[in-house]
Amino acid sequence: MTVLLSAQNIVKRYGGVIALSDGNLEVSSGEVVALVGANGSGKSTLSKIINGVVVLDGGQLLLDGVPVQFPSPQAARKMGIATVFQELSLIPQMSIAENIWLTREPLHPTGTVDQKEVTERTKRLLKLFEGTFKTELTPDVSVSSLQPDEKQIIEILKAISVDPRILILDEATASLDSRQVSRLFELVATWKLSGKAIIFVSHRMEEIFRIADTYSVLRNGKTVGSGKIKEVTEKELVNLMIEKASVFTHARQNRAGAKELAQKPVYLTVNALATDVLRGVNLQVRRGELLGLGGLMGQGQRELLRSIFGYIHYHGTINILGKDVHYRHPADAIKDRTAFVPGDRGKEGLLYIRSILENILLPSWKEFGVPTRMKKAHEVAVGVGESLNLKMAGLDEPVSSLSGGNAQKVVIGKWLKRKPQLLLLDDPTKGVDVGTKAEFYKLLANLCDEGKTIIFYSSDDEELVGLCDRILVMHDGNIRTELVDRMITKRNLVAASLGASEEEQHE
Amino acid sequence: MNRRRWNQLLLRYPFLFALILLSVAILVNAILQPTFFTRESLNNNMRVFLPLMILAVGQAVVILGGGIDISVGGILSIVNTILATQVGLNGSPEKMWIYVGLSLLAGLAAGSLNGFFVSVLRLQPIITTYATSFLFFGIALYILPNPGGGIPQAISGLYRNTTPLGIPLAIYVIVLILLGWYYLRHSRYGRYLYAVGGKAEAAYETGVPVVGIQFSTYVISGLMAAIAGIAMSMLTGSGNADIGSAMTLNSVTAVVIGGTAFSGGVGGIAGPIIGAMTLQMIMNIISFANIDTWWQTFVNALIIVIALALPGLLNLIQGRKK
Repeated sequence: MTVLLSAQNIVKRYGGVIALSDGNLEVSSGEVVALVGANGSGKSTLSKIINGVVVLDGGQLLLDGVPVQFPSPQAARKMGIATVFQELSLIPQMSIAENIWLTREPLHPTGTVDQKEVTERTKRLLKLFEGTFKTELTPDVSVSSLQPDEKQIIEILKAISVDPRILILDEATASLDSRQVSRLFELVATWKLSGKAIIFVSHRMEEIFRIADTYSVLRNGKTVGSGKIKEVTEKELVNLMIEKASVFTHARQNRAGAKELAQKPVYLTVNALATDVLRGVNLQVRRGELLGLGGLMGQGQRELLRSIFGYIHYHGTINILGKDVHYRHPADAIKDRTAFVPGDRGKEGLLYIRSILENILLPSWKEFGVPTRMKKAHEVAVGVGESLNLKMAGLDEPVSSLSGGNAQKVVIGKWLKRKPQLLLLDDPTKGVDVGTKAEFYKLLANLCDEGKTIIFYSSDDEELVGLCDRILVMHDGNIRTELVDRMITKRNLVAASLGASEEEQHE
Repeated sequence: MNRRRWNQLLLRYPFLFALILLSVAILVNAILQPTFFTRESLNNNMRVFLPLMILAVGQAVVILGGGIDISVGGILSIVNTILATQVGLNGSPEKMWIYVGLSLLAGLAAGSLNGFFVSVLRLQPIITTYATSFLFFGIALYILPNPGGGIPQAISGLYRNTTPLGIPLAIYVIVLILLGWYYLRHSRYGRYLYAVGGKAEAAYETGVPVVGIQFSTYVISGLMAAIAGIAMSMLTGSGNADIGSAMTLNSVTAVVIGGTAFSGGVGGIAGPIIGAMTLQMIMNIISFANIDTWWQTFVNALIIVIALALPGLLNLIQGRKK
């Protein structure tokens, strides 16, 4: 096989920060290379250099052995490089078809867009993922009305519609459910056969081993290892990614079984909770319990957490420690010591351009009086930072300077200060590197041991299986299955999520 | 469920609100002025409405592309003062048409200046165009310090009284603009415009020439302001450097009533045209009802506040948050 694209000794600086000091990557046609690394290791930067979104400061790119330069995304695309972006590049106000064919609309001789042709071509593309959507999509649906997984798929279709020679999948599976991931991987296999090269950027080990032929590991902006995926183990790969050899053993130790749980007092009871999405959810959580919410994406897990936090209007009753409550505003929930860690930390969890200190203290400024006792505030923030092992240049740096994992620690840190009794976590580890995840799991375990109650939604099945006392699997706005004790296995969880396969087994 | 369907309708036809408002305004107008539906009075009204309608079209293109142009009134004034001083009441028609051409060039130049600042230098649109509006009004005052001058009566008469097939000239102009817009909207440029207004970053990553599109919206707006200025000059037949100052806010109000979102990427041209008609119809009502003119400003401001707050209020009433 001949090398199609080769990135050699790539250097990229953002101001004073060195994002890449020695990035290398090689990919041949008909091959999938996994680009792996912890958050902040430079994966995104390297893929953005290859697709022309950022311009490199040093090193060179070779396409078919010839040095090339991509001053813009269009330049890269003209050379046959397409990217599925992590931060979606779709325009919400426009339709699926308009988004996919933007800048490449087939035109009538008069210069107007050939709407019929656009619709036809879009239908053909949508067929690729037929049957994996919750509701079938048509080309004229507005992107703003789509679920995250559907948006991600449109993003994939948009990239593939260029018929690229090289396709970069940057965390493209993060918001897809398992059925959609399988379909994507089937498609990748056919694209490989047709000679396309695929660069697969992901945090999910299992997927990397399922799909990649070769790997390339980045650590702190340097390529530290590469080779054939068959010749490496998961543990070795993780060890390459993180300097300290902390390994994948974060299963929580003293988990409570059903009997133990029954002895604890009930903290929260939810009865017949209904919203636009939820259809009468009932559940009970006990003090000190770590309750997992699982299932396919977009089955109402987020709405459930948001309703409990008073963020969405709902019908039904919520009862905390025997007292009926009906929060109309998150402030009410916060007063009752409930905390919410949103999944979209950029949008809902953090004030990106403000300092780390301000973000940590945001819910607790009251304590520091008027005028604010800044010295004390600073000490408290330092304490929180240390307890979370926050890696930062200083408390006065903006949150935007942190890596994804560290930024998420700040979101949790701002609540810990207020000593919450109930924590609602909305897919908090999405896009967080392995090292930070492990610390995060430890934190969760400690919180439960201290008697805090946690409801934990995650799109990562292993996480749920490894951590939770009990898992509720949601489907179509309701709870479909409850997993306790020995029932908590990945197999059961996946089967319950898919529903269909479980029913087949019964027959 | 009813309310939901209403919301969906509004989303698909954003100018529905303006259309309802317009119908009410026409009704009230017709009651106050029994001759409202006669051919003559229709032409009277349309030729007065036309400048603002054209101005609103330019404004709408800029707002669709994610910006705003506060300088349109200034451009209109420049054009008015150029025509009034250079052509004069006794000028020949040929001279008039030459200066009409020059006025269009002036509009293009002014729009290019705005476009350069906003798209190439990436300055805040609202502040930049507010600043250039002072520049433009300054130029207009330099050209014509005191109201006066004028254009040949024959030309004004042409604008005021031409009614081919009994239909006011203004209607033909509007139809032409709508046809042009229909073409643009279905061309690649139209897609780019909505993409840039919707989410400029995503558009850039996709390969849309964002800077060029933003630049072009200000050029279009400048050109539209110049055309509006020409129409205004023909309507009044005289010059006044201050003539455009009240029209900037009106053009923005017309766009907002017309259902084009301030955030960009949603809406069209038909809405703002209807919005401009509605706005001036309301002003007509005020003057017919013998109410003090300061009410005009008050009503104008009230409309813009209500139109801006309405979507939020609807959500609040429904008690849902997104």
